[in-house]
Amino acid sequence: MTGKKKEKLREEVSTKKGNPAVQAAMTLVAAMYIFPLFVIGNYSFKTKKELYLESPLALPKSLNLDNYVKAFDKLNMQTTFINTLAYTAVSVFVLAILCGVTAWAIARCKHKFFKFCYVYFIVGILIPYQALFLPIYTIGYKLNLTNTRYGIVFMYIATGISFGVFLMTSFMSTVPIELEESARIDGCSVYRTYFTIVLPLLKPAMATLIIMQAFQIWNDYLLASLYVSKKQLKTLTVAISSLFSAQSSDYTTAMAAIVISVLPIAILFMSLQKYFIKGMTVGAVKG
Amino acid sequence: MNKKMWYTLAACAASASMIGMTAAAEEEPVTLTVLAGQSTTDAGIEDMIDEALAEKYPNITLEWECVDWGNDFQPKMQQYMQSGLPDIMIGKAQDVATYAPQGILAEIGAEYLDAGLDAARENVTIDGKTYGLVYNALYQGVYYNRDMFEENGWEIPKTQEDLQAIIDACKEKEITPFASHMVDTWSIGNVTMQFMMNDVFNKDSEWGDKFRAGEVSFSDSAEAQTAYEYNKLIFDNTYEDTFSLEQTDCDAKMVLGEAAMKVSGSWSIQNFLDIDENFNFGIFPFPNQTGDSKLIFEPNITIMTSASTEHQDAVNKVLEVLTTDKDLAVEIYDYTKTASMLKDVTPTFANPSQEDIDKYASENMIVDVTLGNNQLVWGGFQEENAKDIAAWLQGDASFEDALAASDARVDASSAN
Amino acid sequence: MEKKLFRQYLVLVIPGFIIFTIGLIIPLFLSLRYSVTSWDGMSAEKAFVGLKNYIELFHDKEFIDAWWFTIKFTIGNTIIQNVLALLFAVALDSGIRAQKIYRTALFVPCLISAIIVGFIWLKMFSNVLPEINEWLGTNFNFLLFGDSKTVLGGLLIANNWQWVGYWMLIYLAGLQSVPGDLHEAAKVDGANAVQRFFHVTIPMLAPAITICVVGITTGSLKVYDLLVSSTKGGPGRASTSIIYQTYTTAINGRRYGYGSAMTVTLVVVLLMVAMIQVKGLRKKEVQV
Repeated sequence: MTGKKKEKLREEVSTKKGNPAVQAAMTLVAAMYIFPLFVIGNYSFKTKKELYLESPLALPKSLNLDNYVKAFDKLNMQTTFINTLAYTAVSVFVLAILCGVTAWAIARCKHKFFKFCYVYFIVGILIPYQALFLPIYTIGYKLNLTNTRYGIVFMYIATGISFGVFLMTSFMSTVPIELEESARIDGCSVYRTYFTIVLPLLKPAMATLIIMQAFQIWNDYLLASLYVSKKQLKTLTVAISSLFSAQSSDYTTAMAAIVISVLPIAILFMSLQKYFIKGMTVGAVKG
Repeated sequence: MNKKMWYTLAACAASASMIGMTAAAEEEPVTLTVLAGQSTTDAGIEDMIDEALAEKYPNITLEWECVDWGNDFQPKMQQYMQSGLPDIMIGKAQDVATYAPQGILAEIGAEYLDAGLDAARENVTIDGKTYGLVYNALYQGVYYNRDMFEENGWEIPKTQEDLQAIIDACKEKEITPFASHMVDTWSIGNVTMQFMMNDVFNKDSEWGDKFRAGEVSFSDSAEAQTAYEYNKLIFDNTYEDTFSLEQTDCDAKMVLGEAAMKVSGSWSIQNFLDIDENFNFGIFPFPNQTGDSKLIFEPNITIMTSASTEHQDAVNKVLEVLTTDKDLAVEIYDYTKTASMLKDVTPTFANPSQEDIDKYASENMIVDVTLGNNQLVWGGFQEENAKDIAAWLQGDASFEDALAASDARVDASSAN
Repeated sequence: MEKKLFRQYLVLVIPGFIIFTIGLIIPLFLSLRYSVTSWDGMSAEKAFVGLKNYIELFHDKEFIDAWWFTIKFTIGNTIIQNVLALLFAVALDSGIRAQKIYRTALFVPCLISAIIVGFIWLKMFSNVLPEINEWLGTNFNFLLFGDSKTVLGGLLIANNWQWVGYWMLIYLAGLQSVPGDLHEAAKVDGANAVQRFFHVTIPMLAPAITICVVGITTGSLKVYDLLVSSTKGGPGRASTSIIYQTYTTAINGRRYGYGSAMTVTLVVVLLMVAMIQVKGLRKKEVQV
């Protein structure tokens, strides 16, 4: 957009006045969306007896943290939390690098092979890996990847690459080629060009990728239950789901566990919100 | 002379080092992998077992993987059959019939089996070899509110007419006759097998084999249909929202006096007593067509070991602890509220239904449901049939459809 | 020089390529291989049976019912989520205050795992919402998961609660990039607000619509986690999705070969759906 057009848009936005009916409607909608979360929080402070004898909407008699303590214990929180954090952080880090370089190479090199690569990776988005559970496990144990930390990270990268490449290639058009070309004339290798020139410009894209992959991996159930079933390697989501099935009678603890597991991701989102919104903007426009 | 001396010395040194090695091996830390398929009441016993093991054999550590028996035990077993089974597997008695024929389970040593009751061996023995150590047992039947029955002068029903009389009496008092939580399809499957034990398998203990041979079918068998139809009897006389009601909520309502009876099993005891330690309940077998139904007994936690384990000694030591540590056993029975399958060990928790159980035991009116579960397996068959029954009760399928669907999956009715 | 560049680019692509192939593509081919056998998932033997599994699929009532449910779920989601997301985005873009708060409130649910979302709504429908009837003295039926006729609606509510905020952000971003002077020009031509919306805004949103529709459709076709903790495919089989049916058949039913045939069918359908949608929607996009 030219400077003039940008100005016009800003003007448009600043002179828009909200319709009070719309404001009220959105408040109602937002309240309805938050309500279930409030209910979970409410439950998480109740005792088992309060659960059965009082109304579900009643506030707990006291803010007792028993359920949180129990959740910590039953979920083996020190181990599972750290595991989940580690797997997510490492996987996301590697994905950010890999998807970035892969997408950039695909976007810049016109060779047929790279076009094939693009389609090859995109197809992966459609593959429902839940249904491939046995072959994925077979491959894993044949390559000695099961019940190891690097094995689960490997699988997270394998399943996350498709979407990452898709996202990053659509962002590549925002990186002006002129900068890269002048770098190449100066004698930079492809690798240096990427890391010193291109990468800094990809910040919103990276932020978007990081958030989206982070919460998918954090919340993943199937791969984690397949690959890291040993107690010391377990993840938070797998531990929580056992609270829903085998110990389903204990759902006040389950509620506390939910609160504990959602908080970190919510915090991550709120801190990276600015970049994330910016990132989605570009994606939505360029498509 | 010198040579002889050298040889003797060498022999002594060799045997000394052998003894030293075995002694060292005893102290060497061993880690055994355990896959435990647990139900609602069992979660937590792994810590008790770890404690007891640590006292006697501190060098043996158990690496637990606890999963939900209903949904995840079979997938996990399938996974491990590809890569190598864990040393110890804890499942249910019916698992032996599924996995032993694959040749992957080891026989359990006689010295450990002898510590258990004879009833523990019957249905985990194939061709004379026993592959599972049954640790505890559940009773299944109709749990009833004893105080309510006494207050109203209701007698334990033996026939369908007796049962209907109680149902009518409940309705007059605006009490829901049956508590049920049909949102859990497994509960429908479970009660259906209870019904089949007393109307189908009591007359023909090989009904499943005949079914697979094409001699009988659900569509032709009046007895099998009766068993399915009891589900409707319950559905018509239970909570309106049974398809939305979860197990603990269902049990809570019963404890609070809103329902009189619940067709269930010992797993409900933990819930009942958690909500009200003084709840006075009893158990009776669901009446059948011939008025002679027996109380159902289910060997539950069963310990199996891998035929290809590298640490058979350590495994045996674990079996030893489990079969000889009476304090551990009582702790587990009290926690899970189940019956003992070890000789000379009885739980100490107050079980109001115990007097009913003892009565039926003394009259020899108890039957082992493993027979039914081996004849018609749970996973892929009973479980799927239950879904069709649920669809029929919801009005989405006709009764004939449900029967036909059960017949159509005859190939899945056996694990082999 | 060209060759050197090519090789350098190649080095950047190879690691991702290898990991992706090993982790996803090879299992897919393994699955293809299993689908022509009668393997039960346990024993060592895998007997070859050719296309028998695929032929059986066409007659399998449960398989077809699962597809029906999945299709209805997908269509429901695609319509509802797109309409609501666009509606909310327009509302947020119309200059009302406290935009950021509404944005966060609607977005947070998608950060929660589908398994947990299923569990939350199970409790909402069976315990919490019926209480509201007591409070307000009304008599709405909230037991949506307990009846085969309403279970689809209940799941649509749960799924939309989780995802509307996510797609709304994409639409919001799209809306905010529509150049103001296009609106001005339309106003001058005498178009009212509704006409402007349909003739100016929507065409400009085409890329966002493509992303959202393809994303919602493919995501809905793969629904599984949501069902595991809420309805478990029930009551009966009323809410069994295609992946849920595949999983149950392959594992609990001990028919891994047959289940693999189901997987392959699903992948083929997903590919076709995605290709059709992308081709169809791209045609409508306006290149700025």
